[in-house]
Amino acid sequence: MKAEKNFPLVRCAGVAKRYRKGSLWVTPLESLDLEVPRGEFLALMGPSGSGKTTLLNLVSGIDSPSEGRIDIGDIAVHELSRRKLAAWRARHVGYIFQLYHLIPVLSAYENVELPLLPDGQSKRDRRERVEAALSLVGLADRMHHFPRELSGGQEQRVAIARALVADPELLVADEPTGDLDRESADSVLALLRNLAEEQQKTIIMVTHDPKAAAAADRLLHLEKGRLLEDQHVK
Amino acid sequence: MLPFTYAVRNLSRDRSRLVQSILGSALVVLLVMGAHAMNAGMTRSLQSTASPRNVLLLGAGSEESMQRSEVSEQAAGIAETSLAGVESVLGQRAVSPEIVHMATLLTGEGQELRGLVRGVTSKAMLVHPEMVIQEGHFPGPGELLVGRLAWRRLDVSPETLAVGEVLTFDGVDLRVSGVLAAPGTVMESEIWMPLQDLRTFAQRDTVSSVAIRLREDAEVADVQLFTRQRLDLELSAVSETEYYAKLARFYAPIRTMTWTTAILIAAAAVFGGLNTLYAAFASRVRETATLQAIGFSRFVILISLLQESLLISMAGTLLGAVIARLLLANRVLPFGAGAIELDLEPSTLVVGLIAGMLLGFIGTLPPAFRCLYPPLPQTLRD
Repeated sequence: MKAEKNFPLVRCAGVAKRYRKGSLWVTPLESLDLEVPRGEFLALMGPSGSGKTTLLNLVSGIDSPSEGRIDIGDIAVHELSRRKLAAWRARHVGYIFQLYHLIPVLSAYENVELPLLPDGQSKRDRRERVEAALSLVGLADRMHHFPRELSGGQEQRVAIARALVADPELLVADEPTGDLDRESADSVLALLRNLAEEQQKTIIMVTHDPKAAAAADRLLHLEKGRLLEDQHVK
Repeated sequence: MLPFTYAVRNLSRDRSRLVQSILGSALVVLLVMGAHAMNAGMTRSLQSTASPRNVLLLGAGSEESMQRSEVSEQAAGIAETSLAGVESVLGQRAVSPEIVHMATLLTGEGQELRGLVRGVTSKAMLVHPEMVIQEGHFPGPGELLVGRLAWRRLDVSPETLAVGEVLTFDGVDLRVSGVLAAPGTVMESEIWMPLQDLRTFAQRDTVSSVAIRLREDAEVADVQLFTRQRLDLELSAVSETEYYAKLARFYAPIRTMTWTTAILIAAAAVFGGLNTLYAAFASRVRETATLQAIGFSRFVILISLLQESLLISMAGTLLGAVIARLLLANRVLPFGAGAIELDLEPSTLVVGLIAGMLLGFIGTLPPAFRCLYPPLPQTLRD
């Protein structure tokens, strides 16, 4: 994924997603075109069922489009098999969930280490990267704590460190502040903002919170599977 | 690969479920080992009783049952003196006329014991060299030699048949003169008495069979040829191996029933275990989805789930094997032809180990499939 700054990292063209639910066909996304430049922090807003999470899943290779193409850097993600997508995600995408999705039986260190394991890196390299990622989110002193021993904000920071540790260019976050108090939410948003500015991470964040959306460079509204507005926040 | 510690730590998530799973696995392994030990013991017992060098002369037409067979005194005598190729020990030909009789004996307390009594001469020891008198001496008139496991076959305490005890047969007191041992054979559950005594009690002027031990260079076919040449004697020659192989086939339905019972109970335990695993994995659907989202393939996650299940089933196997050792080893069970001494031989342990591994392996697949197969976006939301 070598591309110049401002050259779109994410390119979606004519993307649609359809699936069957009982006897009905549901179309959460319809003919969507989107480009996200490298280093941009993009917020997606919209009512429930508008297709935000579907778009996030498509862009991150968790789901495949029914139509259209999705290119992330120079990879045509829509053409990858399920197995290749898993390997691609491990290297190129960091996923941040609303409910953190940390593995409860693993320590913060071990949770953050997970994305490095499929890559077959040496233990020493992994340790350096995990410690760097945990330091970046301000949790170097909590690395041996288990999720149950951390606050919600700290858990989300561990989840962000896990998303960052493989040094992906694309971070996708599904309501990362949705389960946090204001103070923790602000701290997480500041961290994401910093990652976009300082480390040129491309971030796509789904949120219902206008304050969270305000931290992004650009805000897009989705409704019934279509993009409505393209609003530059900053 | 996912770290092994992940599989190990997952075990402690729900301790009651862990204990339940280990006990379920232990039960399955115990049942499988029990069924195997029983059937192996039964087969071993019948096989050990048979010597490839021994031939049985039975009444023609009674080859299936020694108890029904009748061989006249004259035929037994002619066979004893004229057969070639018979083993000879210290000048004595290894030919043993025997009567097998189902008798009812009374203990000192008046308890009725119904068991197999074999009337023999001292030559029986030449034909069955594996027999040893463990205690006491060969029975003389008015005496009995009891098999080491006869107490179990007759369902009495070992003391009831101890040397010196008296049993009554048709109102005649007979003293136990010794204890007979022949490890692994059905004869260990028999009672022996002098041939002449039993002939009187059973009121027969014939014997049931003539057991012959052949020299190593002699063949069963030679004896069979003799019986075909002397049709007037109305004899049939059957190798002991063949006779007991037929007997073993007679018990095949019992073996099938043992396995069927064990498999049915084990199947119930397997379904219980599957249910437990379903519940365990179902509560982690989103977690496994997260691992997939992070970049782990479904195969890698399946391996980790298998590690987890195999740890449980191996712990269950170990527990099952220990319980089997405590409950089954050296336990004596009665069965039609006598009594068998259960022994946890290596093959039983291997069967238990395979059962445990299969349980862990096959038992994981349906719940893991249910956990890993649904589309990732759906499982991430669950």
